Amino acid sequence: MPTVYADIPILSGILLVCLAGLFLILATPAEKAARIKKISAVSSGLTLAAAVYLFFAYDRGIGGMQFAEKIPWIPSLGISYFNAVDGFSLPMLLLTGIVFFTGVLTMWELTERVKEFFALVFLLVLGVYGLFMSLDLFFIFVWYDVSLFPMYLLIAVWGSTRKEYGAMKLTLYLLAGSALILPALLYLVFVSGLNTFDLLQLMAPGTFTPAQQRFAFLLFYIGFGILAGVWPLHTWSPVGHVAAPTAVSMIHAGVLMKIGAFGVLRVGIFLCPEGWRHWAELMALLATVGIVYGVFAGLRQTDLKYVIGYSSVSHMGIVGLGLSTVTVDGLNGAVYQMFAHGIMTALFFSAVGYIYDKTHTKAIAELGGLSRTMPRASAYFIVAALTGVGVPCLASFWGELVVFISSFKVYPLYGTLAVAALAVGALFILRVVQKTCYGPENEKWANLPDVSPGLAVPRMILVSVIVLFGLFPSLLFDLIRTASMPLMAGLP
Amino acid sequence: MTNWPAFTPEIYYVAVAAVFLVLSMVRADHRRDYQTAVVLSALGVGITLASTGITADLFFGSYRVDIFSQVFKVLLACGFFLVVVLCSELSGVERRLHPEFYLLLTTSTLALMLLVSSVHLLTVYVSLELSSYSLYVLVYLRKNQPQRERTVVHYFLIGASASAVMVFGIALLYGSTRTMYLAEMARILPAVISQPAAAVGFVMTLAGFFFKLAVFPFHFWAPGVYEGSANQLTAYIATASKVAAIALLVRLTALGDASAPLAHALVMLSIVTMTVGNVSAIVQKDLKRLLAYSSVAHAGYVLIGVLSMNPAGYAAAIFYSATLLTLKFTCFMVVVRVAADGANITVEQLAGLHRRSPVLALALMLALFGLCGIPPTIGFVGKLLVFTAAMERGYFTLVLIAMINVVISLYYYLLVLKAAYLTEPAPDLPPLAVTVGDKVLAGALIVVITVFGFYPAPLIQIARSAAAVLL
Repeated sequence: MPTVYADIPILSGILLVCLAGLFLILATPAEKAARIKKISAVSSGLTLAAAVYLFFAYDRGIGGMQFAEKIPWIPSLGISYFNAVDGFSLPMLLLTGIVFFTGVLTMWELTERVKEFFALVFLLVLGVYGLFMSLDLFFIFVWYDVSLFPMYLLIAVWGSTRKEYGAMKLTLYLLAGSALILPALLYLVFVSGLNTFDLLQLMAPGTFTPAQQRFAFLLFYIGFGILAGVWPLHTWSPVGHVAAPTAVSMIHAGVLMKIGAFGVLRVGIFLCPEGWRHWAELMALLATVGIVYGVFAGLRQTDLKYVIGYSSVSHMGIVGLGLSTVTVDGLNGAVYQMFAHGIMTALFFSAVGYIYDKTHTKAIAELGGLSRTMPRASAYFIVAALTGVGVPCLASFWGELVVFISSFKVYPLYGTLAVAALAVGALFILRVVQKTCYGPENEKWANLPDVSPGLAVPRMILVSVIVLFGLFPSLLFDLIRTASMPLMAGLP
Repeated sequence: MTNWPAFTPEIYYVAVAAVFLVLSMVRADHRRDYQTAVVLSALGVGITLASTGITADLFFGSYRVDIFSQVFKVLLACGFFLVVVLCSELSGVERRLHPEFYLLLTTSTLALMLLVSSVHLLTVYVSLELSSYSLYVLVYLRKNQPQRERTVVHYFLIGASASAVMVFGIALLYGSTRTMYLAEMARILPAVISQPAAAVGFVMTLAGFFFKLAVFPFHFWAPGVYEGSANQLTAYIATASKVAAIALLVRLTALGDASAPLAHALVMLSIVTMTVGNVSAIVQKDLKRLLAYSSVAHAGYVLIGVLSMNPAGYAAAIFYSATLLTLKFTCFMVVVRVAADGANITVEQLAGLHRRSPVLALALMLALFGLCGIPPTIGFVGKLLVFTAAMERGYFTLVLIAMINVVISLYYYLLVLKAAYLTEPAPDLPPLAVTVGDKVLAGALIVVITVFGFYPAPLIQIARSAAAVLL
């Protein structure tokens, strides 16, 4: 795989814009909430623009790592600041840009501790961007933790529903994940004997023995898997999502959970392909259990956000199933699903967030007939629900389809179970839609305002992205293929 | 022929002690005492910085000035200066005793400086005792502390026991190697370390420093002393005193030459120490007690670097000591400022710090994440270096256990953070008396914690060159 270095450091530019936004917010007096929101919108918009540019400027004919930047950072330890993007990370960068920008716009009406909120969100996103573009194990770990540690405050201060419990549980779980990742990283760096944290150097075939790969991959899989919501380590996720404020739920379910899956891919699979093969069966099993469990746990929920939380567990299970097939198609589908699910959940949470802001309830039983009182809000909700169900022409369809096709070939039983579970899942999502948007109207909500044009902007962006990638899946598949084909071809 | 310029920092601190001795005999004036102390300690930082390049052997080879000792002297001088800066109110000590407080703080710092340059077991022992005795008296200076006699006696007894063990260890070591000079011992010891007398003597010699660093089983003094001392003194014990202890542990362990039984003993000590510290910290209500147990846990992490017994490990331990100095000092700065009356504070009393002083709250948050070892803070780099060194030796399980400990510690750090950021201040609380100077200091600490967290290469280089002279 070739590595093309950048003339202009666009990737660092994205990070610098986040950092500059962070400092500008910190420098603005807390009373000037409107200015803080404008700064946030402009900076997040800039990062989105850069991500879109990269998405289209990436040369799909050459493939490999592009827009690379490399500076020695701590030479004595072999650590370098090494950023680059490939077909796996570009969709993630685009996803981050979209969710970040729309998330900021969604929180336009926030009034409580505005300055701190946006500062923490910028820190969080800085970590996310950094992780997706980094190719140095040290920085991958640093960015991973940078994206975790604002979460506690974001949930505990601005959240709802058992927020302190949710925040503490989430933070401890995710740090427990990093407690496995760091030793595994250091282990690989040392057994390689290369004295480097450079992922591309370490992934050269023959660096690690199969036994070492099996050992390290398991640690990576569990460590990053916690963040990806792999069953049975997912329990932080519904609780955390429910407790978090809207934008944080969007970023968290939309992007942060992808970090987990991306970590398994970028670190686990890239460095330890033998381990990947060895543990694939286990991954498939856990992923299938996650899919089935998420659906059935979701069936019993009475809180709208819990429903989405459990559907995330189920949908991330599809990503896991795709990765576990050890095929090009499985990888393509998994990455596609990561992207599609990110956009879909962001829309879901932003729709529910709006409903909750107005009605102050997330209990399904108390809602009803929203399609008449808030037609636009419920339209967004319904689109998200249909995407989640996997309706054709909406983005998730393609990801799920490709994953299921490849899993039928490799694991017929698990594939069948997963598809069956998804059918049940469709049932339960549609039931939720029916109970909240249709059915008898609740008198209490009759006079609530619908989504204003300003607040509709972020939701419309999400809807159009869903439709765009639902209609033109090759936009994304062509890109992912430039990374997945060489990866699979390079396997021993 | 003695190279006196090499000895300038020590002479300077003797002079500072003399100044406070004189001040203690004239009429007390706490503003004057404070200003004198700040100026003199700031000057001390400059003098130690100026002496960093010097290399010399003094006093018949029993005292060595090199980059290793000078790096630590700079850290000690900085620690002393920072603690003195916190003493603007010093309401935990009676006003007429302020000169004595500064005097003893100076002698303790002087002793720690002597300690990091000592390369003869007797100078090591004498310096260690000088610093300990200063601290025993300092602990007693706390006013309105009904149990201070008990605290001091407790501290003294454990300290004296540790000293006794250490002296016995030195005797055994002398018996095996027939020398007190560390340089000669480094030559002889590898050949005899397999003898039980030498190995036992060696570990017992380390006991004095285990006591200072609060390593299990010599950690029992820590919570009581942290709680019972004036807040500024606790800050000193948690920072400067630990730094010197780490220096000597590194210097002595470098003699041990990676013998397996010794390493195993230290591995066990390290695991027990960090686990005991972290688990005990969870249930603490008093902030200083919590920080005391967190110090115990950190002693365990430092030991990982020491027991790796490779250059990377020693450099890691040196780096870690600077890390601890910064992070612990930041925490204690918050303690001192929040407890304006000099009393102890509970974790809950931090309530609403984010409103009462945003910059202190931010500094506290970063310091807590740093202590937990979460990037991008200097604390993470410390942990990373320590773990890297251990991994080089193949201690995978040890690193894993340490990481699990990190997760445990996150819980109680988050509880502190929660008090500072989530709860609202009680309405009748007076606003915090945070001066411009405090804000600048807190800002500087924030910068140090984050900038060196992101770009630690220069500091690592210094730590490496300091560790290089040991071998």
